[in-house]
Amino acid sequence: MKLLIVEDQQELVDNIQAYLSRGDVVCESARNFAEAQDRLLSFTYDIVLLDLMLPDGSGLNLLRLLKRMNPETGVLIISAKNALDDKIKGLELGADDYLTKPFHLSELNARLNAIFRRRRLQGHTVLEHGSIRIDTDTREVTVADQPITLTVKEYELLLFFITNKNRVLTKQVIAEHLWGDDVDLLDSFDFVYQHIKNLRKKIAIEDSEEHIKTIYGLGYKFTNR
Amino acid sequence: MNLIAKTTLFYLLVAVLVFGIGGWVTYHVVKTEVTKETDFQLYDEVQDVANDVRDGIPIEILRRRKVGIEHLGDHLKIDTFYRFSDTLAPHPYRAGEMEPYRKLEAVKEVDGSFYHISITDVFIESDDIYDVVVEILWRLFLILGVGMLIASFLVTRWLLTPFQRILSSIRGFNIKQPEPLDLPATSTKEFRQLNAFVSAMTERARRDFRSVREFSENASHEMQTPLSIARGKLELLQETQDLDQEQLRLINDAQNALRRLSKLGSALLLLTKIENHEFRAQREVDISAVVNACLDNFSELAMLRGLPVKREVQPDVGLAIDPTLADVLVSNLVRNAIRHNQEDGAIEVKLDKQGFSIRNTGAPPSIPTADLFKRFRKNQQSEKSMGLGLAIVKKICDTNQLEVGYDFQDGWHEIKVKFPINV
Repeated sequence: MKLLIVEDQQELVDNIQAYLSRGDVVCESARNFAEAQDRLLSFTYDIVLLDLMLPDGSGLNLLRLLKRMNPETGVLIISAKNALDDKIKGLELGADDYLTKPFHLSELNARLNAIFRRRRLQGHTVLEHGSIRIDTDTREVTVADQPITLTVKEYELLLFFITNKNRVLTKQVIAEHLWGDDVDLLDSFDFVYQHIKNLRKKIAIEDSEEHIKTIYGLGYKFTNR
Repeated sequence: MNLIAKTTLFYLLVAVLVFGIGGWVTYHVVKTEVTKETDFQLYDEVQDVANDVRDGIPIEILRRRKVGIEHLGDHLKIDTFYRFSDTLAPHPYRAGEMEPYRKLEAVKEVDGSFYHISITDVFIESDDIYDVVVEILWRLFLILGVGMLIASFLVTRWLLTPFQRILSSIRGFNIKQPEPLDLPATSTKEFRQLNAFVSAMTERARRDFRSVREFSENASHEMQTPLSIARGKLELLQETQDLDQEQLRLINDAQNALRRLSKLGSALLLLTKIENHEFRAQREVDISAVVNACLDNFSELAMLRGLPVKREVQPDVGLAIDPTLADVLVSNLVRNAIRHNQEDGAIEVKLDKQGFSIRNTGAPPSIPTADLFKRFRKNQQSEKSMGLGLAIVKKICDTNQLEVGYDFQDGWHEIKVKFPINV
């Protein structure tokens, strides 16, 4: 996946680059409107990560330019401005998704992957991990060629794990991914464990490998073994 | 007592003093003059009598009630003299009353004969002079007093009207108002100075207030980027190999603290933005739809907490409000009802044309209920809460002329937002 990060905060760019470069993502970055414009005119990207607040121009204008030149490129907007207007305007202009600062890098990764699958592969994509196969188009999951039935949450959980494999996912991050930011309203995230337990059971039926590793008191990690 | 009344009263007091002294002076001046004139008169009469004697009129004829004349003799070696004196004599008609008289006694030589002539005349009593002076002054004082009252009324009416208008302008001043204070124009120099002073002062107050608000907005906003960076660094750190449980836990705790800080920042930012009237897209919002959508959003979380939500939402209830604020208002109240709930609790939501009410079970409030809507006031039990949710609700209600109230009864908390009655 080839990604352009348009963001004026260098340290934030560093974070994203460091996190994503462990996967098969090629990251380039532009610090401002002019630089981003140059890059967009010269190269083609799979996804552009776009900060709406740039020192020398509006990210929305960049989005217009991009959609005119290269409508196939996916766009994920990131902005500290959690204004509804910008979100709606961005999505109207053809952005695929919207992420409000501050965000979890694992969440960003999951969103980028979702966009990539939808865009680049026209939705027809099959994720494979060991004997687990996920068709993200039909939302069908098979383990060792045997179809298994997952609830919506379990499916999303599995997808989140696979796009963030070998990464530590805290219960908080998982809960926020599945139930949104307001998950803080709940006293404990024990219910996350319930879903993990069910998911483990279902994918372990046909597969003897234990994928979901518990990190005690903290969270989980999806590994090859 | 207003300024003009005080001034008038002061002037009247001065007038009393002036009139008092003036009366005393007048009395004495008049009295001296009257005495002088009476004496002249008596003197002239003595001359007349002397002339009459010279003309040969017998003294018996000349002797009358007021005139006494005695022939003393001829060619006496005595001095002629005049002597004035005051005396009292019975009133000619009113018995028992004495009257003051002025008497002139004179010894006069007429063609070698000496006569003692005495003339008495009714003297104008000092009592009478006193009465006249008092009468005149009293009337003058009355005219002056009435005149001043009318004048002060007119002054208040015409001169002080601009001042009253300036006062009411200042009274209506709100440090949060977006436009400068509108002061009425006036031609009076002092009021123009006052206007200049007041408008400079209010302008400075407004500017300071605005810059404080802008500062808190910018601070809350700028805070997010470094927080974002720090959180990203921690996530990267979390990814490094060979971290033990303890290290991971420390990272997680730091993450949680940063998350709280960042949520606090956005809540403060929202609060400041509402205060700064940045949500001005007021239009008719279908509140029923907002409430239903919000309850749908939170239904899963409520379920996870084991809270049944009873919904009584009348359809098509409209309210003129910024749509974003409507959303924030309802979701904050629902969030509040979920957070401050208890085991086996429940939530009841009711919406109709009169207003929106949300009830939830929970422990009795541990702080005075009047403080519930203040910033950072919260029940101790919920440490995840920041104590800004209800402050935001209150702020939204205040800026949209909605009435919000809290009540706790029989284990149920109720927050009610009253909608304005559509005319």
